[in-house]
Amino acid sequence: MMAENWFAAPAPIAQRARAYFAPVSRATKTPVVFDASQQGAFDLDSPPAPWIDLGPIQRLTRSAGSKSVARMAGIPAAALEQARETLNAQVSFEFLSWTKLTMALATGSQHMNLLVPATGGTPACDGAQAAPAVALQAGSTASVLQLAAADAARFAAGSTIAVDADYTGQTGFLGTPVSGAYLRQPLNDVDYIRRITFNVALVSQVAGSALTLAQPLPGGVPAPGSKLQALAGFVDREGGTFYQEWSALFVIAGTQGERIFFHYPRLQSIAGTEETTQPVDGKQEGGLAQSLLRGRFLALPVPDPLDGERVLCYRTFLPAPHALI
Amino acid sequence: MALRARLASINPERMVLIRGALRPGILVEEAEAPASQSPPDVFVLRWLGLGSDSSLASTLVAQECEILYQTCGTQCFGGLDRGRALCAMDAELVAMLAPCGTPKLNYASQPPVTMLTQVFWDEPAFTPLVAQRDRVSRSARVTVYSYLEQGE
Repeated sequence: MMAENWFAAPAPIAQRARAYFAPVSRATKTPVVFDASQQGAFDLDSPPAPWIDLGPIQRLTRSAGSKSVARMAGIPAAALEQARETLNAQVSFEFLSWTKLTMALATGSQHMNLLVPATGGTPACDGAQAAPAVALQAGSTASVLQLAAADAARFAAGSTIAVDADYTGQTGFLGTPVSGAYLRQPLNDVDYIRRITFNVALVSQVAGSALTLAQPLPGGVPAPGSKLQALAGFVDREGGTFYQEWSALFVIAGTQGERIFFHYPRLQSIAGTEETTQPVDGKQEGGLAQSLLRGRFLALPVPDPLDGERVLCYRTFLPAPHALI
Repeated sequence: MALRARLASINPERMVLIRGALRPGILVEEAEAPASQSPPDVFVLRWLGLGSDSSLASTLVAQECEILYQTCGTQCFGGLDRGRALCAMDAELVAMLAPCGTPKLNYASQPPVTMLTQVFWDEPAFTPLVAQRDRVSRSARVTVYSYLEQGE
């Protein structure tokens, strides 16, 4: 008799969901596609480009606010059919780390790099006039930046840096591949793009005139003419008119190898800066506590090329191997 | 067996001599000859409580596993490094338990047969350190889950 080669899988059991974000091209309004049929088995620690791993998250809550209206007919009236009246979906969760990207996603507005100031710079809430940028030399890659020897001597292992082009009066969406700001009128700040760029990294080693980065630059190989500045941290504001917009992918990996994906092609942050606290020791409410970034997002629609329907989110389930479906 | 393979990879030097065979330093208490005291510098697994939930599509079985370990430190430091040695075992245990799942194998037949589902477990709960003369020990409890398959 042939042994059974299937099992009936109960509801998935999983640890925390994981979050991956990828930049939407704001100028062309192009989100990032995730095709679970081709990419669904990806290594959770190494997502396919251009997705960026933001690690585990907690308290992931998806709420569908779409409303349907019933067309009534007859006496007494009864529903004849339904029509979709509004589309609405929101997502909220807490990040378990503070990084450039998690902080930017958890703010409702523009997020900036706090550049190391020039000596004697006038104090400003989002950073004084910055110390001059240094030019990248030929041969720089996403992980190793080549500088003139005298410039490299200004950096050390542990420095944090921003790499991008000089600002030369552009308007509209700024930053590539991640749009970090929208300008209606030109500014007079040559460092403005490096203030809003997501092309930031930690220097892990300085050897001669080369800076080795702990993680590759999110924007890949720096464009010719890019410059580098040291940064002290990050700053964002409650207010402003800019909305972060990203493609998002949330993954719940079940214990039996099954996977659930929530793919939001377009997510815009809707809440201002919010933090929650979580006691490090659950038994001591008044003791040490973690400060967690909380993100709340509104899903925007995209037309599905399959049939032209407008959709906010795709939910995909890849069953466990050998599970009955 | 999965933890044994993981331990051999994490710390190949943690070995134990059992019945003339040198093996990775982890053993299941019930599968060895009774002893008045567990050997030092070895992880000893002991199965405790059992529960099941048959209301699911496949019956979920939960078994509590206690992992005990103790050390006297090393002779070259006169045992004064026993705290560090126990910390090293703490770290090895945490590393062994990640990722928190492994394929389910049936060892009733030889060679063992890989089954359809995965065994998985929750985060370990560590007990406080116990010091007894020159020996320090600790244990951790982990709930191990598996689904019953056809014919089990």
